Amino acid sequence: MISTDRAVPSYRLAPNYRPFVMPALIVVCAVIIFPWAFTVWMSANDWTLGQARTFVGAENYINLALDARFWESLWHTIYYTALAVILPLFLGTIAALIFDEQFPLRGFLRGVFVMPMMATPVAIALVWTMMFHPQLGILNYFLSLVGIEAQGWIYDQATVIPSLVIVEVWQWTPLVMLIVLGGLAAVPREPYESAEIDGANGWQKFRYLTLPMIGPFLMIAVIIRTIDALKSFDIIYAMTQGGPGTASETINIYLYNVAFSYYNIGYASAMAIIFFILIVILSFVLLIVRQCTVWSQAGDGK
Amino acid sequence: MASVRIVNAKKNFGAVKVIRGVDIDIADGEFVVLVGPSGCGKSTLLRMIAGLEEVSGGEIYIGQREVSHLRARDRDIAMVFQNYALYPHMTVSDNMGFALKLKKAGEQEMNDKVARAASILGLENLLERLPRQLSGGQRQRVAMGRAIVRDPQVFLFDEPLSNLDAKLRVQMRGEIRALHRRIGTTTIYVTHDQVEAMTMADKIVVLHDGLVEQIGTPLELYDRPDNLFVAGFIGSPAMNFIDGRIENGEFKAIGGLALPLPEGLPAGKFAGVELVYGIRPEHIRAKADGIQGTVDLVEGTGSEVYAKLDCQGQAIYCLFRERIQIEYQQSLCIGLDPSLVHIFDKATGKRVVV
Ligand SMILES: Nc1ncnc2c1ncn2[C@@H]1O[C@H](COP(=O)(O)OP(=O)(O)OP(=O)(O)O)[C@@H](O)[C@H]1O
Ligand SMILES: [Mg+2]
Repeated sequence: MISTDRAVPSYRLAPNYRPFVMPALIVVCAVIIFPWAFTVWMSANDWTLGQARTFVGAENYINLALDARFWESLWHTIYYTALAVILPLFLGTIAALIFDEQFPLRGFLRGVFVMPMMATPVAIALVWTMMFHPQLGILNYFLSLVGIEAQGWIYDQATVIPSLVIVEVWQWTPLVMLIVLGGLAAVPREPYESAEIDGANGWQKFRYLTLPMIGPFLMIAVIIRTIDALKSFDIIYAMTQGGPGTASETINIYLYNVAFSYYNIGYASAMAIIFFILIVILSFVLLIVRQCTVWSQAGDGK
Repeated sequence: MASVRIVNAKKNFGAVKVIRGVDIDIADGEFVVLVGPSGCGKSTLLRMIAGLEEVSGGEIYIGQREVSHLRARDRDIAMVFQNYALYPHMTVSDNMGFALKLKKAGEQEMNDKVARAASILGLENLLERLPRQLSGGQRQRVAMGRAIVRDPQVFLFDEPLSNLDAKLRVQMRGEIRALHRRIGTTTIYVTHDQVEAMTMADKIVVLHDGLVEQIGTPLELYDRPDNLFVAGFIGSPAMNFIDGRIENGEFKAIGGLALPLPEGLPAGKFAGVELVYGIRPEHIRAKADGIQGTVDLVEGTGSEVYAKLDCQGQAIYCLFRERIQIEYQQSLCIGLDPSLVHIFDKATGKRVVV
């Protein structure tokens, strides 16, 4: 019998696979680990671009805690995010419930409805800035038709954040709708018949069946929207640059200003790190909440 | 509790006539089983009674009330679905208590009723589970529990046992009957399993192609089937059907086999009419001077022997309850009791009255 033993002859070295991991490792270090480590390091320095750098330890963080403008921008961020999550969630769910029904031209209308999602932020900003214009904008014209006085929209400190949120809602409600539509498609039909027999009316069926069954999908929408809204920069920057005054300055805008208008890299790095920690904590909270809404094997994403 | 009356009920899905005029009277507290082959419209009829399917014609009464056009939630019925239709996101106890919650029943009342139903059904240890964490049989019991806590006028069951294994099915069959004896609620029970129908029913309704073939007690259907369909459907193994005519006071099968006729049959009246001769396999005995045949097939289960005989080209199935020694291809003589023979008119399928 011919031997088919193909074991590695003992005089060869045992294979070493480490080199194969190196490229990936290098890339990860270069684009993830290094920037982060560098940011942390920068945040421990007083460093304005073009000037001398001095190590200051935690001083940037202490200054941050005492910086009223930082706290204000944090509040703006929370305000903006809360509105930009809740409104699209609410409207998107209603839209999904409507588009879940059968009616003529459904596919076409759904396509139209989804379009804002595909537009470029800067173009959107341009169009909405014009629409918001107090004298020339079409929104005030519509208000005048129904007898409401003209608003300052993004040019008024009191209304600038809600106005920006209107743009956000317009653009991202369709995304929530798509997610919730997916959820509705996964909802089984039979329980509705049981509920009918158990004596549930339309509202009760929605409250006790539909809502909990699409719960996991709503939570996905909340997570995506929250992260998106927290990071939101382009539309705000293109429309108001954080103004009027600092009325719409979110952390992102403030961070940008500190880093690229004042070139205060150390301080900006400290802010970035605090912001990052906040996002991570919030994401964990949302993930935990999401776990509680899970009712089916399919929904738990494991 | 209430009686149920269905008068000339019809249901069309577009052009398809699924229920074509059904009349059923169900007394208060009765356990009625709807049987029929798959696709005959049993579920549809049940859903019409429940109010999940709009009727296309006719009336349905629950008690004195006409409910034909009432919504399901106003009919005060409870239903166990073929696929259970539990609320997937609710625990067992929430599933069972849901109807009470909708009725704004108090916490105390709800807990009491759920606990009582759970103890009747042996679900006490599963109350906090979700449906997906239950076995098929447990889910089925939760579906029953959901019906029981309601205390409805009528129970509707749609093949609740079809997903269970044979042993559990027999056990649940008994439990459902016991439950009915205990609470006495009018029950309409759908199945395509005729053993279930025979063992559980006060009254059986045989449905075929959207029409009622016969209504009667299990034994009535067994002893005096009205037509060929019922004769073939009720009883297992199925009845032997032999085509032929009456000649000289005897039944002559197509192949020439002569069979004894029941007494009192006005043989002259049927001379020349094409008939079907029906005899149940269990009503055939081995008999030394009987009809001679060759054994084509033997299956023994220990308690009984099932055999197929070839009698002059005519296949006859026999079921012997005593243990007899027969071999493949051996010759065997059988006798049949003429009083247990059923004669049907081949053209109409109707029983020829004896
Ligand atoms: N929504 C519907 N649209 C069109 N036809 C339907 C609809 N529902 C049922 N049918 C038809 O009605 C007939 C009866 O269906 P049904 O579900 O009542 O049968 P069944 O007796 O319960 O059968 P099974 O024993 O398989 O459950 C079938 O031929 C089915 O194809
Ligand atoms: Mg069915």
